[in-house]
Amino acid sequence: MHVSGFFDPLPRVLVADDFDRGMSGWLDLRPNFVAPGFREHSDDIDLIHWGPTMLSSATFAFGGTHGSAQGTYSLKISSRAAAAAADLPPAPGSMGLAIKRLAVPPGLRRLRIEALFAYKAEQDRPGLGVDDVRAFGMFVDLQDAEHRYMPGVRYVNAIAGEPVRAWQFYSPTADTDDEWSYGADGWHKAGIDPQWFGRRKADGSTSATTWFDGGGQHLIYNESDDKLNWTPLSLTLDLRTRRYEEFRVGGRTLRFPDGAHPTLAPAYNDIEGLLNPVFFVEADTDRRVSLFLDSVVISADAGEAA
Amino acid sequence: MKTFYTSVIELRQEFDDAIETHPYECGWADEALFFVEVHDAEPGETVSLRVQLSPDGIRWLDEGTEIRTGSSAFARVTRFGGFLRLAGNAIAADGGPARVTVSVRLALKG
Repeated sequence: MHVSGFFDPLPRVLVADDFDRGMSGWLDLRPNFVAPGFREHSDDIDLIHWGPTMLSSATFAFGGTHGSAQGTYSLKISSRAAAAAADLPPAPGSMGLAIKRLAVPPGLRRLRIEALFAYKAEQDRPGLGVDDVRAFGMFVDLQDAEHRYMPGVRYVNAIAGEPVRAWQFYSPTADTDDEWSYGADGWHKAGIDPQWFGRRKADGSTSATTWFDGGGQHLIYNESDDKLNWTPLSLTLDLRTRRYEEFRVGGRTLRFPDGAHPTLAPAYNDIEGLLNPVFFVEADTDRRVSLFLDSVVISADAGEAA
Repeated sequence: MKTFYTSVIELRQEFDDAIETHPYECGWADEALFFVEVHDAEPGETVSLRVQLSPDGIRWLDEGTEIRTGSSAFARVTRFGGFLRLAGNAIAADGGPARVTVSVRLALKG
């Protein structure tokens, strides 16, 4: 694809996904169906009913087809019409998540994930649905020889219908493995899958999130549920130190505290070297919400990896 | 080469009588195939589903294709515009409403 000026990739572009050319390897994030009868490997929370991912032309009842930032199609990640209170585990179907599964090539030092995004509540009723979108975000599932870790950012848009409009990042949790997965058997290690695990609070924080200092931001939802403004997002990570380097969104650069990093969990079996970016959206009410992406560019530069 | 994508739109989803699958955008595709699987149905229990089209993913109209099964079935659809879903009911052996668990996969090509 032609990488537009919205993107500022590092020298080595690993993938540049323009969704006018198909799903490009993005699909629904689902659990491991390895239990008897092809059941999911654990049932601590319902992970099998999230909303499906699709290629969208962003077509609406009154505005017609919005199209994408470049072309017609974008990747649309959708929740179902469900939500639990912010201090409870996510309700079945209250999120939508799309993942792409890659592996780290040799010699990488830094990794950058960039996208143009827009977020919307379904235009299924009159009025403005902005405060029916609880949150959206992205993270990368990474594992090296020692640790599995999931650096990422989350925009908490609204809680219980009240605007929050602030960014947080995934940070180390003090939860035990059992606390992390809401008292279940602890198959999951604390810090892994922070998008749905980790004790939650009513303000939208979790046991593995830290609010950015000065991280309040009024993103462009626009004034109607059928108007999209493609907004750039860029997260840069240092793979040698497993630390955050930089987060840009819209016209702003948000600063991480010195040395900030996500939970460094023990390595899991058979996934060393994985590089799995994930984008997600969360509903705040019983209304479908969507995150649109066009395009996604993953780039890197060289150096001695950790 | 054509683009192909199968979405597991509903996975082991419980429905109590009324069934509506998630609105699925697929304007890029020329052809679609709905696979319906009813899990562990009681004897005589069926689902009756209509393929529906929509201009916007909100307002739905019957396309004309119907599925009725107590196990597995499929339906082929073409010239469907931008959105597809299935809508219908779960029916017990005595004709009354039923609670069923259903998986729906939508195979798209275009």
